[in-house]
Amino acid sequence: MSYTSESVENLVEQLTKLPTIGRKTAQRLAAYILKMSRVDVVQIADALVAVKDKVTFCTICSNVTDHDPCRICSSPKRDHSIVCVVEETSDVVALERTNEFRGVYHVLGGAISPLDGIGPEDLRIRELIERIANGDPVAAPNDDNGSHAASANGTTVAEPHSSDAQIKEIILAMNPNVEGDTTSYYISQLVKPFGVRVTRIARGLPIGGDLEYADEATLSRALEDRLVVDTDA
Amino acid sequence: MIIEEISVKSFRSHADTTVRFSDKVNAVCGPNGAGKTNLLEAIHYLCLTKSFLTSSDTYALRQGDPYFEVRGTINMSTRSSADVRIAYVPGEGKSAFVNGAPLEKLSEIVGRFPIVVLAPDDHALTSGGPEERRRWIDNILSQAHPLYLADLLTYRRALKQRNAILRRMRGQGTPGTRVLDSWTDKIVEIGSRIATRRAHFMDDFAPFLDRAYGTIEAVAERPHIQYQTFAPPDKRLDLGGVTEAFRERLERTSAREREQGRTLVGPHRDELVFRLDDMEVRRYASQGQHRTFAVALKVGQYFYMTDVNDEPPVFLLDDVLDNLDPSRRQAILSLLLSDKIGQSIITASDERLFDSVVDFSSHHHSLVPVHRAAPAELAE
Repeated sequence: MSYTSESVENLVEQLTKLPTIGRKTAQRLAAYILKMSRVDVVQIADALVAVKDKVTFCTICSNVTDHDPCRICSSPKRDHSIVCVVEETSDVVALERTNEFRGVYHVLGGAISPLDGIGPEDLRIRELIERIANGDPVAAPNDDNGSHAASANGTTVAEPHSSDAQIKEIILAMNPNVEGDTTSYYISQLVKPFGVRVTRIARGLPIGGDLEYADEATLSRALEDRLVVDTDA
Repeated sequence: MIIEEISVKSFRSHADTTVRFSDKVNAVCGPNGAGKTNLLEAIHYLCLTKSFLTSSDTYALRQGDPYFEVRGTINMSTRSSADVRIAYVPGEGKSAFVNGAPLEKLSEIVGRFPIVVLAPDDHALTSGGPEERRRWIDNILSQAHPLYLADLLTYRRALKQRNAILRRMRGQGTPGTRVLDSWTDKIVEIGSRIATRRAHFMDDFAPFLDRAYGTIEAVAERPHIQYQTFAPPDKRLDLGGVTEAFRERLERTSAREREQGRTLVGPHRDELVFRLDDMEVRRYASQGQHRTFAVALKVGQYFYMTDVNDEPPVFLLDDVLDNLDPSRRQAILSLLLSDKIGQSIITASDERLFDSVVDFSSHHHSLVPVHRAAPAELAE
């Protein structure tokens, strides 16, 4: 298809760089952007640039953050002795949505996949092991507007809560595919010598779903991971 | 299971064809190149999401058309009926719909609509390499046991990953043993399940093969399949024993697999040896015995799948009659007419092959004529 405007053509080209956006979708988006007000478009453009300029990675958990350490790692309300290991930042978002997990995270940045040339050295596995070996380095409160209250008092970083620093449990929450499984196994082998409890999230049926619509592999895993029902009562 | 009707659009030589079938014998007849086999291929797409001839979907697309679509109305013996649709768009891939609802994974369809194909290529089953026989056993078990296919796909992926590490280790000589161990653990877990399932199948299948062979050949020789795998015969049926044997064999070959840069032990190296009494079919059987054995494997598969799924598959026979001598042809047609086989769809160049055997005036049987398609420029 040829455009009468090079700018529109360029926009379509740029949009197709995004995952799941094919040419048709890009054209639809471009047509919509053309109709949007300038203010709205500038907001989108600014937001795009801002994530590249402002966002860094948390030095503790490797999650994306505007302030290092991130909000979760620096929160005194979180239990720093439980670390949930995930593949991607988006997994943290998903788990945080539950509003149930009160521990902290460790983002690996992917899973071991030799076919894609991704080995353990390309993931933040060494950092995880260091975290376990040294204890969680930060439990320093970091107030929400980002200024370090502690530095105002002359001390740079507050003492970590000594009881919280020791990691007691590693929860492996990798994607339920062959790469995720293998990465879990690899990490569990590395963690073994530290005597830390290692768990993996359960797999099975989606809540609110129908048993009859579940696929066979999921059903069989659900059977494998079945739980004892307490019949004492 | 009965395929009531299929429609194919832009598939191979068919621009837009709709065919209705009867519930027993359907003879698809027409001159060479008219697209008889293509109809069977379309059914294969519908039930197993791929062709039994080529592996690439692009070849199935009619030249110059933007996409192909196969649609079918399928009735199950439970009286439920399904409208199945498979569409392929180059660059976007295939998608499958059952009663209008899209399937998340194509593999979900496998096993729901069981079919068995007997085709001229089947001579490779008895005379070709071991991969032909593994493909056959995988085809049966994937249709009969849904978990088998999930395991098979996972195993293939894990094997590729493990081989990638072995290749890299060969190149650089760096011992990344811990990563290798993680993948070893995975292929042992899944591979052992696959091998155990195959071993159980061999035991279960034997009587069905026996019955099938006897149906087409009136001689006393007995067909037999010997399963060659990494686990010793006395441990094969027990998952624990197979797992142990797999691990142990991998350890023994670890030096060699690092040299060669690939996994040398596992169900991906399994072999099936076909025998008639004591004679190995691949090496010593006559042409006729090869053919009979291949037919018996497929008829046996039909019997086995009927038994396991409680649902008679649809039997697709491509160009089989032309290649058989009159007595075996007669045996096949009588079998298709008997109550041991449900619906069958059979291609032949000449409808006279069915003369005086199949009564097409009955509503149970259909003669489906296929004509050579008009050249594209004249058709429009």
